[in-house]
Amino acid sequence: MITPLAMTLLGIGLLLAAWTGLQAYRRRPANAPQIVTAIALTAALAVQSVIGWFRMTADIPHDRVTFIAYSIGILLPLPLGIWVARLERTRWGSIALCFTAVVVAVMTLRLHQLWQAGS
Amino acid sequence: MTVEHSGGTGTPEPATVRPAAGDPTDTAPTDGAQPEDLNKGPRRVLATLYGIFALAAVSRAGVQISTRFDDAPLAYSLSLLSGLVYVAATVGLTTTRSWSRPLAWTACAVELVGVLVIGTLSLLDKAAFPHDTVWSRFGSGYLFIPVILPLLGLGWLFATRHRGEVPTQVAES
Repeated sequence: MITPLAMTLLGIGLLLAAWTGLQAYRRRPANAPQIVTAIALTAALAVQSVIGWFRMTADIPHDRVTFIAYSIGILLPLPLGIWVARLERTRWGSIALCFTAVVVAVMTLRLHQLWQAGS
Repeated sequence: MTVEHSGGTGTPEPATVRPAAGDPTDTAPTDGAQPEDLNKGPRRVLATLYGIFALAAVSRAGVQISTRFDDAPLAYSLSLLSGLVYVAATVGLTTTRSWSRPLAWTACAVELVGVLVIGTLSLLDKAAFPHDTVWSRFGSGYLFIPVILPLLGLGWLFATRHRGEVPTQVAES
């Protein structure tokens, strides 16, 4: 884990949540830039997870099983949200993408906490 | 991609003029208040929420039970139970069989009872619940979503109770 990268991804997740939340408030389906942002964020999260696995040592993170579970699990919500947003071309698709972006932001924070707890 | 124009700004949308919905190829902004969408859109959002919680709770229980089950057999068994309830609710919300709605009703009701009972007990008798479950303290570790989710699920099931069978066009989900 690299703290500035984790905090950047956390911020992007929250911004995407706010953006898609506003889209839902305006009764609009998720638009192309939002879908592209979600795909890019998923790719960046995958890079972060791989960096995390390579930087693991004997002591860091302390709870390796949970860390590995989170680093894999964090890659799943956004593809689900993207799929629902593409399938459901109404405000409800935007709400689904908004929720998954919040989940990813929270999971990024948790992932970082797990890493810090071991160092 | 044909969706770009739908994200444009400044398109006035008077509340009284609602665009036709239902055509899956229609990419124009549609109004979430359409009666049809009440069945389809919210159901997909609920299924998304439940799917993520099913994954989270089952994963959590898997890690807890496989690595340190003896620490707190009760709490970790409850974690697994809550995970299975979320899986059942997800299945009930994403299928359109005759048993889908009864399954969703049952799962949401069990979930509500579970989160209220475990939430209350975890506050009253901390000794019995030294290890957190998804339902401990009404799901405070999960932004209280565990206590809100069954209410949303039951609310949606109640609001759509007279529709009987789920429309056929939602079967693709």
